[in-house]
Amino acid sequence: MLMLMPDVTDISDLLARIGRRDRNALAALFDHESGRLVAIAQRIVRRRDLAEDVVQEVFITVWARADQFDPSRGSARGWLTTMTRNRALNLIRDDARVDYHDVGVISDLGDRQFDALAAFDTLSERDALRHCLGALDEPKRQAILLCYVTGLNHGEAAATLKAPLGTVKAWIRRGVLALQECLA
Amino acid sequence: MTSDQLEQAGQYVLGLLGDDERRIFEAEIASDTELAKAVNKLRDHFHRLDDTAAALPPNPELWNKIEARLGSSPIDLAALRNRPTASPSRAWLPFAAAASIVVALGVGYMVGSTLGTTRQPEMIAVLVNEADATPGAIIEAFADDSVRVISLDNFVIPPGQVLEVWTLPDADTGPVSLGTFTDASTLRLTGPDLPAPHVGQLYEITVEPSPGSPTGRPTGPILVKGFAKQPV
Repeated sequence: MLMLMPDVTDISDLLARIGRRDRNALAALFDHESGRLVAIAQRIVRRRDLAEDVVQEVFITVWARADQFDPSRGSARGWLTTMTRNRALNLIRDDARVDYHDVGVISDLGDRQFDALAAFDTLSERDALRHCLGALDEPKRQAILLCYVTGLNHGEAAATLKAPLGTVKAWIRRGVLALQECLA
Repeated sequence: MTSDQLEQAGQYVLGLLGDDERRIFEAEIASDTELAKAVNKLRDHFHRLDDTAAALPPNPELWNKIEARLGSSPIDLAALRNRPTASPSRAWLPFAAAASIVVALGVGYMVGSTLGTTRQPEMIAVLVNEADATPGAIIEAFADDSVRVISLDNFVIPPGQVLEVWTLPDADTGPVSLGTFTDASTLRLTGPDLPAPHVGQLYEITVEPSPGSPTGRPTGPILVKGFAKQPV
């Protein structure tokens, strides 16, 4: 897959200019990053309009707080990704929880499973995370991918995987430990 | 690091901690650099999954919504300066020629003002639009910290925004607000207690969200700016 990955320093450069109230820099950041961030948010909130709402808030926050970006705590690109994910998760967590008896919702859960697995399959063969996720048993890997990629909580992951809640919680607990051991 | 912390780090990055757990864990991260490093590292690994989302083309409508919330843009700024009589040739006037217009305006204005009032300003600044070097406002600064603002352009201010007048008495003090206005006309504002205005002191007008800059410093685009000179 072809991906536009602008140079990391480019983005922190843009953030520095945005911190000095440079709107052209914000527009350039939007051109570079908004499409990527909308796609990330949409995996979680499902609807394009909601994903765009999330990214709108992200850019407003960037405009207000670009000077708070601290390069010592990670890359500028990662900062944007984290902010987008948190906003998207807040949006679905604040909403009423999904009703699993709804047939439409069940097919939506199928889409989530597809997205989660597609994300895993798209990881580069040499990627450490791919290697370590691949080393987990299937159910642990699936549970972790569903929660991370599509923002499901424990209960939703249990419904999707048709497994008891306690079991899914244990999969995730043991899975994240094994994962960090493998990544270390 | 305990296995409990590792487990929490994992749940945190997955977005699975409840609100309270998350707040407690974030406080722990803030005071434990080793834990913070572990979380950042794990998060970076997981971001590879986010990177697999196929980027969509940027949506211009979304940009318009964002831009509207920022207040007026540099492009809107041109629309703000409603000057139907301005000759198009003025746009390319070299700065020197524009400066002579400023001088002529200043002189003509002084004649008028000495007839109308006996009070002399300490300093006068002609504020110029940087884009085309045309004068947009005159500021008279008086010894009692008040200023008189004479608009030369019919600024059209969008709803929810104000024009804020700033001066920079010195670099250490930083920009100081002298007040806001929404109606382009002649008005008097009284700023805070400042040293007497001096030659070369910067004055500028920015566009800010109503009722004025949220930070106490200029945040919006600069409409016009100029430096003070002493009337002869």
